[in-house]
Amino acid sequence: MTKLGTTGAIGAVAALQAALAAEQAAVFGYGVAGAHLSGSRRSAAGQYWTGHNEARDALAAMISKLGASPVAAQAFYQLPFVVHDATSAMALAAYLEDGVTRAYLGIVAVASARLRTFGAQAMQGPAARAAYWRGSTEAFPGLAADT
Amino acid sequence: MPDILPRRRLLLASATTLPLLLAAAGCRSSDVFTGPDPLAGKPQPAPDVVTLQAVIAAEENMVALYRTAVSGDSGTTRGRPLAALLGQHTQHLAQLRARLIVPAGAASASPAPSASPTATAPAKASPAKVSIAQLRTAERASATNLVKRLAAVEPALAQLFASIAACDATHVIALGG
Repeated sequence: MTKLGTTGAIGAVAALQAALAAEQAAVFGYGVAGAHLSGSRRSAAGQYWTGHNEARDALAAMISKLGASPVAAQAFYQLPFVVHDATSAMALAAYLEDGVTRAYLGIVAVASARLRTFGAQAMQGPAARAAYWRGSTEAFPGLAADT
Repeated sequence: MPDILPRRRLLLASATTLPLLLAAAGCRSSDVFTGPDPLAGKPQPAPDVVTLQAVIAAEENMVALYRTAVSGDSGTTRGRPLAALLGQHTQHLAQLRARLIVPAGAASASPAPSASPTATAPAKASPAKVSIAQLRTAERASATNLVKRLAAVEPALAQLFASIAACDATHVIALGG
């Protein structure tokens, strides 16, 4: 995402690729987090994992339609911290959703009105899921903390 | 040195005759300098400013609605979570107001006539008591309104609208929606 207040319109393909990369990271990360969760949390993680897979495929299709090649997922992702229990697994899930939220907010800075609307609507899902894992809402999902 | 005097005369002559020549040709200052005529009256706010004013008015209504809800529920179990959501709306309002720079003497800073009626409806009613369902409806309307408006503003403001809309969407869920 470009820093708020300093951005002009950014490239549609670049913004979509960033969102695709974030979705791919979420798909990988939920696989790790889900293994440390149980009950309703595990089932939520499974449901969200499916949602991220679907979003990844939709973004790849949009990028192809624009004549570009979708970025490939990495074989392995470096986790931001060690995940060893339910608490750290939920923290990882919130971290992943924050990353996806930021990436979709990047799409809101492109020139196309249609893509802006898409980005704004798409970021509401991950913002809500991040709030679920964190247990509280945030004033400015996707924006830097000093906003 | 002998060249200086003729040059000075030329400059003085230009300064004196240029306005006369312009007047004779029927030109006004706005024809010479591009842009609006500074004497033509109060400047109209740009479309971004009008949109921002409407969004600020809607957020002010939301804050008023939450204040009513919180004051009616202080000391109850739902009062505290509502106060937290009110705090986030207050932050939204501060950020939106910080983006609004209206030059002194500009035309009225009142909300745009095209402001969404759904976004302003809750505060128009000014109810003495506000239900959770009313708050949920207001949050949903606000999120929709912001997403509708972000296509027409500059990218950084669009991102702020989108972020606030996403926050409103999380509030809908926090309110049981």
